[in-house]
Parts: sequence; C-alpha cells; structure tokens
Amino acid sequence: MDRSHLAKWLKSPAKMANKYSLHAVYFCTGCGIIEIPPVITARWDAERFGIKAVATPRQGNLFMITGYVSLKTLKAIIRTYEQMPDPKYTVAFGSCPINGGMYWDSYNTIKHLDKYIPVDGWIAGCMPRPEAVFIGVTHLWTLIDKGKADGYIRYQKKYAAYRRNQEMLFGDLGWPPLYPSDIPAEEAGA
Amino acid sequence: MISSLKKSLESTFKGVAVKEPEDGSISVLAPKDSLPVVIRYLKDNGLHHLALLSCLDWPERGKFEVVYVLSCYMPSNTDYAPDQRLHVFVKTEVPREHPALQSVIDVFENAEPYEREIHELFGVHFAGHPRLTPLFLERHYEIPPFRKDFDTRQYVAETFDPIPPVDE
Repeated sequence: MDRSHLAKWLKSPAKMANKYSLHAVYFCTGCGIIEIPPVITARWDAERFGIKAVATPRQGNLFMITGYVSLKTLKAIIRTYEQMPDPKYTVAFGSCPINGGMYWDSYNTIKHLDKYIPVDGWIAGCMPRPEAVFIGVTHLWTLIDKGKADGYIRYQKKYAAYRRNQEMLFGDLGWPPLYPSDIPAEEAGA
Repeated sequence: MISSLKKSLESTFKGVAVKEPEDGSISVLAPKDSLPVVIRYLKDNGLHHLALLSCLDWPERGKFEVVYVLSCYMPSNTDYAPDQRLHVFVKTEVPREHPALQSVIDVFENAEPYEREIHELFGVHFAGHPRLTPLFLERHYEIPPFRKDFDTRQYVAETFDPIPPVDE
C-alpha cells in the first residue's frame, strides 16, 4: 500500500476498499469481449488493479458493456444491472454503446446506452486496447474518490425516466419496477 | 461425378435446369414444387450435408430466391479424388406475395433453425415446419427486416431517436 494513501484510508475506508476491489461481472456482449480475457489473464493481469471477474451479478460491482447492444441483450443488461448490489459502476467499452458506432442505422441495436441505464465511464475506440481498460479504471478510481461515480444513485433518483425509456422500447418489460415510483427525490439520493 | 450428376438430374426431373459445372460446384434451378424431391434425390446420391440455407430478395423481379448449399463428406485420404469434391447449390424461386415453400426437415434435420431464421427475417413460410416462432428478434416488425423494402434508417428514426435522454 502506498503510504501517501494512509490519510484517505483512515478517512473513508469503505470507499477505498470499494475502489481497490472492483469485481467485474463477466457479462459478454458484442465483439469487445474478445479484449477481456487478455485483460484479466497473465498478459495484462487486471488483478494488479484489484479487478476480478465474478460469475454472478450478485457478487459484482463493476459492469462492463463490451460492445454493441442488441435489444435482446439490453433486456439482459437491465436485469443484470438491477441485481447488482450498491455501490455499482458501469463502464461502456467501445464506440457502439456511446452512439451506435458502425451500427448507427441498424434495426436491432440500441444507439445510446445511457438512455436505458446510467453509465459512469466511457472507453472510446473500436476496439480499445487492453491498456485503455486500465486507463479507464484509474479514471474510475478518481471518480469514486470524488464521489462522482454516482450512477446507481442517479438510477434510483431518475428511475421513472429510465423505466419509461425501457418501456418505450419493450412495451411490457415482464418484471415489476425496482423502486416504487412515488419515492421523493431527496429521500432517494441518500 | 459432376457430369454424371448433371445428366441424371436433367433426365430424372422435369423443369430442373442445371448450370455448367464450375470449380467443383454446380447450381441447380428447381421449381418449388419439386424441391423436396430434388433435395431427397441429391441426398441419396451422396450429398449428405446441408451446409447452409440462405435467402435472397429480388424486389424488381418480385421473387425470393431460397438457396440450399449441399456438399458431400470427403472420402478418406487414400481414395480421395479431386473430382469428388462437390458443392451443389439448389436454388428455387418463390413469389414475394405470400411466399411459401415445403420444409425439408424430413430430409435434412438441421434445416430447422435455418428455416426458422428465414421465416423470421424474410417472412417466407415453410409448410410442415413444427415451430415457426421468433428466433432472434425481440420486437415485432411490420416488414421482416431483411427484406429490401425495409428502410432501416426510417425505422431507426421512428424507433430509437424519439427516446429522450435522461437529464442528469
């Protein structure tokens, strides 16, 4: 441990522990997932940064969307995201979740991921190199330090808007709302 | 093998046109009524493998062209002869209005997902298929999305663009 971090550890141990033990949900979508096995294995070794891949969303707090998102995948993404425990961070990887990328006129992929779930960080590129994942992660650390990686709080606060967007696409989603819709905004953003 | 197959196909079936062989492959144009018989005949004559089932849209001709790609398994290395390498493309045309074909599942069982996919993406009906339910798509599309008259840009503008961003 870096000795200069001691003050931070004493001030907010929970935040520091969160920051250095990101558990990534091993969720594969699109072509970007081809970059994730080298990231988490010996060549680039994501465990240096405290990132581990976990099997189920209920054990994870980092959600990487690695590529284009088709409608069927989006439904799975929403379900996965809602099952993850707070605090949780979403990072969109590649240009397709940002604005559609090369699938900008496709009939079956969504164009803007942040209309449906909150996104904390973006890694641009097609494809981004594994190094870019680590740059993204160090940026995410900074955001967590400053309390700006607040996607899960935004999801709670603006749940009605997110749910409305999801239902505009799917009609009936098939599961009840995660949060009651009449929750006051100031109470939700604790 | 190629030339004998061409001859026997033309003599056995009426209305079947066989193009000149090219690079170890021949294409067979079969009318849609005799298609299952032709496929069955080819299977009995050594083409044991349905490699692909595909569809093309020709709006100016008002036709869908369904293509069956058949190939034969290689004989073992010792008795391999170059002229036994063979691909057969069986093509058949169906009208764009109410397109329907006879399913070939009873000949090639692995045609089942292909036929389901073509039914979903082109709207071609396969008579005798046990379940023509959606395979890949999540939403319902008025025009099946792989048809040429499906305007993807207009669809994107109508479906995805009106969804508002969530303000921070």
